[in-house]
Amino acid sequence: MTRSTRLIAAFFFWAFALYLFLPLMVMIAMSFKDSNFIGFPIRSWTAGWYAEAWRDGDFIGATGYSMVIAVVSTAISMVMGTWLAVLLTERKFWGRGIVFLFTMLPAVVPGIISAISFRIYIRILDMEPGMAAIIFGHAVHNVPFVALVVASRLRTMPKSHVEAAQDLGADPFVAFMRVTLPFLQPALIGGGIFCMLLSFDDFIRSFFLGGYDPTLPVLLFSKLRSGMSPEISAIATVVLLVTAMLGLWAERRMRRLERG
Amino acid sequence: MMDGTRMDDTIVHIDHVSKSFGDTVALREMDIKLARGEFVTFLGPSGCGKSTTLRLLGGFEKPDTGRILLSGQDVTRLPPNRRRVNMVFQDYALFPHMTVGQNVAFGLELQGMGRDAIAARVSEILGFLELTPLIDRFPEQISGGQRQRAALARALAPDPDLLLLDEPLGALDARLRAQVQVELKSIQRQTGKTFFFVTHDQNEALTMSDRIVVMNHGAIQQDGTPEDLYLRPVNRFVAEFIGETNIVEGTWLGQEGGLGRMSWQGATLTGRVPGATPAPDAEVAASVRLEDIRLSPDRPELENAVEATLASSLFKGNHRIHELRTAAGARLLAMGGQGGPLPVAEGETLWAAWPAEAMTILAD
Repeated sequence: MTRSTRLIAAFFFWAFALYLFLPLMVMIAMSFKDSNFIGFPIRSWTAGWYAEAWRDGDFIGATGYSMVIAVVSTAISMVMGTWLAVLLTERKFWGRGIVFLFTMLPAVVPGIISAISFRIYIRILDMEPGMAAIIFGHAVHNVPFVALVVASRLRTMPKSHVEAAQDLGADPFVAFMRVTLPFLQPALIGGGIFCMLLSFDDFIRSFFLGGYDPTLPVLLFSKLRSGMSPEISAIATVVLLVTAMLGLWAERRMRRLERG
Repeated sequence: MMDGTRMDDTIVHIDHVSKSFGDTVALREMDIKLARGEFVTFLGPSGCGKSTTLRLLGGFEKPDTGRILLSGQDVTRLPPNRRRVNMVFQDYALFPHMTVGQNVAFGLELQGMGRDAIAARVSEILGFLELTPLIDRFPEQISGGQRQRAALARALAPDPDLLLLDEPLGALDARLRAQVQVELKSIQRQTGKTFFFVTHDQNEALTMSDRIVVMNHGAIQQDGTPEDLYLRPVNRFVAEFIGETNIVEGTWLGQEGGLGRMSWQGATLTGRVPGATPAPDAEVAASVRLEDIRLSPDRPELENAVEATLASSLFKGNHRIHELRTAAGARLLAMGGQGGPLPVAEGETLWAAWPAEAMTILAD
C-alpha cells in the first residue's frame, strides 16, 4: 500500500468509527447535563440524573421484570436449543432437514412478523398478554442461537468420548450429563449470555406480547413519548455499559472456544 | 456358567459372527475363541475387519448373525456399559474436564464403589503405571505417552475380563512406541488380563503378542504364534504382510517325501507346504525370507540354487541388502552381514541358494 491509500483507508476507518460512536457519545454526554432539556450547549454538569434513575421505581421495576424474563426465557431456550443441537448433530433421520429448518426459522423471520404471529397465537391459546407470553416469545426466538452455538461445539467433540463413558459403565443419559454437557459448557455459557442479552434488548415481541407491566425497552419507549429527558440518557447509559461488558465477555469466551 | 465353574480357559467366544455395513462386508462368519490371559493381536490392513471385531466385543456394534460369549455369558445384545470389557481408544478419549485421577475413578464410581475404595484403587493403579505424580493434572497438561498410560489405567481400573486396545500406539513417535510396546507386554504379563490388541503394524504385533490373528477382507487368514506366522505362513497374503520376503511364482510339480516341488524359470525348487496342497499343475507362489538366502561364487550343496547377477548392494548399518537378478530377469533380495568384502563384485554372477525348509510354497 502506498502512503496515500493508507491515509485514505485510515480516514474512512475513523470516519466510520465516529459515525458509529458519536450518537452514543452524545447520549452519554446528555446524561450528565444539568438541565431538563436535551441539547447543546451543556453549561453545567451533574451526576444527579443517575441518582434520579436509581430512585425511579418504574425504572427499577422494569429492569427487574426484564431480568426475570431474560433468565427464564434463556433457561427454556438453552434446554430446547441443546436438545435440538444434539438431535441434529448426532443422528441421521428422515426429516432432519425439516427439523433443521424449523429450528432456524425463528432467527430469520422478521421481528414484527413473529411478534404479530405470537400475538395471534396467544389469543388462540387463550393466554393473557404478560410475562408468560413474553417469555414464550423470547424463548422461541432464541432457540436457534443456542442450537447453532451448541451444535458447532458438539461437532468438535470426538465420538470416542461418549463411547469411552459408556464403555466405563455409563448409560446414555449419564454419559450425556457427565461427559457431553461439561464439554459443551463454554458454548452453553456463551450462548446463554447471548440469549439473555437478546431477550433484555428485545422491544418488538415484548411490546406486542406485554400486559400492563413494561419491560425496560418498552418503558424507555413510553418515557420517550412523553418527552426527552436526560434521565432516559442516564438509564440508557447504564444499560449500554452493562450489556456491552457482558456481550464482549461472552464474545471473547466463544472466540477462545473456537480456537481451542 | 457362573464364576468358578468355568469348564475351560475360554474367555471370549466369537461364534460365527458376520457383520456388514451397507454393501460392505466387514466380517464373514468369524469363529474364534480367546483364552484367558492371552495377548492376542488382530493384524491386518485398514478395512480388514479387525476394528469391527473390536467394536463388536466392546458392544459398539451389533452382529448381523452369530453370538458373542464373554466368560460363558451371551453378551451379543448387551450395551457397552453392561459388559465387563474396557477399551483403550485410539485417541485415548480421556475426558478433558477431568483430572487423570478423576478419569481413572470414573468407571469405579459407575460401578457404585465407595469413596474410600475408589481412592485406594485409583492410587493402586496409578502407582502400578507410574502415574502417581500426575493424579491432579488434566489430560492437556501431560505428554502423549503419559496420556496413553492414563487411558490404560482408566480401562484397567474397573478390573475388566477383557481389555480392548485400538491401535493405541499410533499417535506416539517411533522411539517412544518401541518403549511402550515392551511396557504394554510387561503390564499384560503382570496383570494376567486378556489383551485384545488391534494394529496394522506387523512389527508391533510380532513384538508383543502371544498370538496373532491375521485378517484380510473380513476373514481370518492365519491364527498362530508370531513364530508360526513368520516361519510358516499359510498363504501369500500372510507371507507378504508379515516381515519382508521374496515371492517367486511358478508351477506346482507335486509332493515328494513330505516336501513340495515347483518349477521356476527352468529350475526345480523344493519347499515346505504348510497350507493347502495345490492342485496338479496349478500356478503357485513361494516365499523365501531375505535372511535365508545364502550367496556364494560356487554352487553350494543346497536343495534350491539359482544363478544370478549381483545388481547392487545396499549398506543398512547392521546388515546389507543384496539385490540379485536371475538370467530370466526375476529380482531376489538377500540379506547379508555388514562386515567383510562383498561375495563378488557388483555386476558379477554368483549363486543364490536356500534350504528346502526355508521356502514355503503357497497355494494362493
